[in-house]
Amino acid sequence: MIMLSARAEKVIRDYFNLPFEGLTGVRCPYFNNARRNRRGQLRGLIGKGTPEEIAEEARIISTQYRHNIFDKDGHCCVHATHNDEEKIEDVRKFLIDNDLGIDCSGFVSHVLIEHYKETRGVDIARRFHFWPIKNFWRWLVARLRPVENMSVRVMAKDANTNKIADGRSGFDWSRLESADLVIMMETGPNKKRNHVLLIEDNEGSVIRYTHARAWSAEGKYGHGVARGEIRLTKPGGNLLEQAWEELGRAGEDNETFLEATGAKLLEVRRIRI
Amino acid sequence: MMSCQPFSPELLEQAFLYLLCATIGAFILAPLLTKFLYKFKITRRSEYDFTLQGADRAGKVGTPIMGGLLVIVVVTIITLLFNWERSYTYVPIGVMGLSALLGAADDLMNIFGAKRRSRSFANTWLLVRIHRHWYARIFYFCSLPWVAFRQLASALGSHPGRGIQVHEKLLMQFIAGGVTAWWIYFKLGENWRSLWVPFDGVINLGWWIIPLVILLVMFTANAVNIADGLDGLAGGALIMTFLGLMIISWIEGRVAFTLLNGTVVGALIAYTYFNIKPARFQMGDVGTLGLGALFAINAIAVNKTILIPLLGFIFYVEAISVLIQIFCRRMLGKRFFKMAPIHHHFEFRGWSEEKIVMRFWLIHSFFVIVAVWLALH
Repeated sequence: MIMLSARAEKVIRDYFNLPFEGLTGVRCPYFNNARRNRRGQLRGLIGKGTPEEIAEEARIISTQYRHNIFDKDGHCCVHATHNDEEKIEDVRKFLIDNDLGIDCSGFVSHVLIEHYKETRGVDIARRFHFWPIKNFWRWLVARLRPVENMSVRVMAKDANTNKIADGRSGFDWSRLESADLVIMMETGPNKKRNHVLLIEDNEGSVIRYTHARAWSAEGKYGHGVARGEIRLTKPGGNLLEQAWEELGRAGEDNETFLEATGAKLLEVRRIRI
Repeated sequence: MMSCQPFSPELLEQAFLYLLCATIGAFILAPLLTKFLYKFKITRRSEYDFTLQGADRAGKVGTPIMGGLLVIVVVTIITLLFNWERSYTYVPIGVMGLSALLGAADDLMNIFGAKRRSRSFANTWLLVRIHRHWYARIFYFCSLPWVAFRQLASALGSHPGRGIQVHEKLLMQFIAGGVTAWWIYFKLGENWRSLWVPFDGVINLGWWIIPLVILLVMFTANAVNIADGLDGLAGGALIMTFLGLMIISWIEGRVAFTLLNGTVVGALIAYTYFNIKPARFQMGDVGTLGLGALFAINAIAVNKTILIPLLGFIFYVEAISVLIQIFCRRMLGKRFFKMAPIHHHFEFRGWSEEKIVMRFWLIHSFFVIVAVWLALH
């Protein structure tokens, strides 16, 4: 079984447990810049930051605007009387209220960059093709800020990834590997959203994936990076015919599965080196 | 230029007299100025000033700003009464006054002004395309270069949106720099079109001196403005700078500038006495822009342009830290410093305000001494 590299696993662990001093277990929330449309900003503020960058922005915002979440040395100092779970909830609320978090492609990009650096010695951020590029300025921005430009649409291009399987056709799903991507194009209620899942491992009968997402069922403060699994209950069937489970929810209650079902294009792709 | 023998003891004695008079004058004026600033509520308010949001800086709310007026007023009065020379001191004092006026307007608008909004380039372009009146479309089309300049300039600043906007500030400073360049190029003579270089070197710049002077005046004024973020930092560093300039002018035998720089040092001593933590008042843009411009002009006027980065070392470091931060933020999406200017970076690293100020003073003093040493060669 091919596994994600140790460094890639660490990145995932850090997103599930943001590196705050004196507090463990803060799961990174989901944030997509499409609505706020911040331009030319720090990537930590537009849903594309590394776990360290997101944690640092949180500390700086807390100090600068006197939220008293972190002290001068960066230690979490939120309500001393609260237990750890309440503290985690407070910090997550603070992150979400200040638009700090990660979007699906940002999360996948950071994990894949580390994975391919370690396993193949290649920085995929430098190898990615971002065309069509409108002008020299956009080309320069894409070169200087590759992670911010590694959208799901860019990941779905044949120049960057190879198509392994069509999600709506039958396939031997046990052949999927770690670091493969499940791409969903034009999904959501308005068919304007794209989404990507990263396959963490494949045991042959269970595919485990991880992603950053916001389920409507989780409300304003419940979203963030998450893990789920696809049980291969119907060999030879298409991907949607398998049993998707996330947060103990399956079928129509699993919004990730719903997104996959509603996607105009559902493909499994692998980074092209 | 009115001059005397280099290292003249009489000139040094006279400079110290000006320095002492300025110090005493400023000490007498300081309580009156403080009362005036409190009376008219010219104080820092947290809701308008995001740099005050940190817990450590909360104590600065309510401190009067525009304390730089003390130095500007004392220097102007003493120079007008005792050191006024149409050939030499009127342009430095005039440009300092112009820059100080700009700073004063910014300070006052930051406190009393309404929030200012401006149309973005994208919105203006949209209006060019969809406005129902053709003449309005032409108007918006013609305004596009100005809007582009405004938007480009706004990327350099982080004003809270009430004061003078960055593009307006740059334009005014360009005029101040232009006046200085005109004076240097057309009034001071051909010697000033060549750059003095230590160890008997000369670079003949010709008319290139004009853009260089404009750039230096603009950059230096803004650099001093940026450094005025901690109690005592800008004031203390400016004392070293003008003291260095006074010594250099004395070495060169430039009478008017030795006395002018001595006056500024004297006024700054009194100002800094009241500005060290906890500050009784803060310099504000009125002082920083005015004194920054005066520093650049005085250095250029004694033909030691090349020493400006050393004489204003800490100011240049602060300004460059901001430029680096803006570049990294906009182009790379990452922070280079935890916060810019660099003194805020050290604050985030846990250094106390006093520690940063003292260390910056020492580093700055060292480079001023290097500049004076180089001026001797």
